[in-house]
Amino acid sequence: MSWAAHQFEVYAVQAHLPKKMMGQVSWFAIFFGDFTPDFLAKFWVYGFNFNGHHYGATKPYQWHRGWPGLGISHTLFFGALCCLGIWAWKHNRAWTIGFLLGFAAHVLTDVNDSIGTMLLFPFSTLNWSLHTWAYAATVKGGKYLDAAAYYSSLGFVMDLFWFFVVLGSWRVLSREFWRTKVVPADPHVWSWLGRLFDERGLLALYRGVFFYGVCRMIAWTTWAHVVARPVINGVQHHGYPWDLSWTGPWWVQHVTLPQVTAWVVLPSALILLGGVYFAANALWERMDSGSIKAIAWRNVRRNTR
Amino acid sequence: MSESSSRAGRPARPSAPGTPSKYVDFFLYASAAVTYVTLSIYNKWLLDWIVGPLWLVAWVWGLPALVKLARRQPIRPQRPPVGDPE
Repeated sequence: MSWAAHQFEVYAVQAHLPKKMMGQVSWFAIFFGDFTPDFLAKFWVYGFNFNGHHYGATKPYQWHRGWPGLGISHTLFFGALCCLGIWAWKHNRAWTIGFLLGFAAHVLTDVNDSIGTMLLFPFSTLNWSLHTWAYAATVKGGKYLDAAAYYSSLGFVMDLFWFFVVLGSWRVLSREFWRTKVVPADPHVWSWLGRLFDERGLLALYRGVFFYGVCRMIAWTTWAHVVARPVINGVQHHGYPWDLSWTGPWWVQHVTLPQVTAWVVLPSALILLGGVYFAANALWERMDSGSIKAIAWRNVRRNTR
Repeated sequence: MSESSSRAGRPARPSAPGTPSKYVDFFLYASAAVTYVTLSIYNKWLLDWIVGPLWLVAWVWGLPALVKLARRQPIRPQRPPVGDPE
């Protein structure tokens, strides 16, 4: 799984929207799209302890990404279903397309860990993985071991990559960008929030996810390599050992699900990313006329009551 | 007179009242990050997707709001009177 990368993706997607969508796709929708897969699946992955008993998935990797399990939450198919639901409910392309792009970013980023995601679900339940770093959520290790493994492996590099992608388009974090490109896409939500906060507060809310991403990356990395005193193979270490090799770190138990061969994953993921981009582009104009028709029908229904 | 305003041949426009200073903003964001990271290293429950963004809002918006409250100034955004375009 990826950690702060998912927070940075939200701004990276927002900054790199196609020109015709700039200022019209909801930032909140991108955020919720990127956030939904883990919101649905991750709570049970780590589980919780109550009265000395652990409640949670017995095989976290199977529950998180597999079938049977909630691996469906990390599929493009499920993202498309959610988008259909949003469109049927609101007829709002700013939210539908925003959710689609955020969701796709999450699903495609998660192919990097050693479990990957079921990219072609429901046609195939095989997982697609690049094995860039080891999937490390275990019943015994919980969130701490997962974080330590991620921030000792190429997962840390992945977070840094997305961080620099956002820094490369730093204007996405500026007040000017927020005023001209983010607020106009979601006028009602920002207007409602504007009753509670002044502009400084609203801007902090918008930048909050990036702030959280940066801080969690620094905090977990510092904890894992400076504060923690893990015992690995009977030897106490001063911090978890770094391992920036492929499918690292070596000191976590490697788990796997039935998978397609790794060589086809990168080109397939890129083709799917292109497909999502193409679909969003193609649907954008059609959804505009669709939403106009929906509003017209709603007005007709109101007038004939 | 600043260089840009003398070039334009007219006096510099004063910054709008209530416009937050860049230095104050930078201090608020930086202090929010330092406090959050420092505390969360030892209190992992703080590393949560709700607490993180709210921490920033509380620090960047809440602290100035507290100062305003102490000065008996309004905290919530003021609506202009009806009919006043500004």
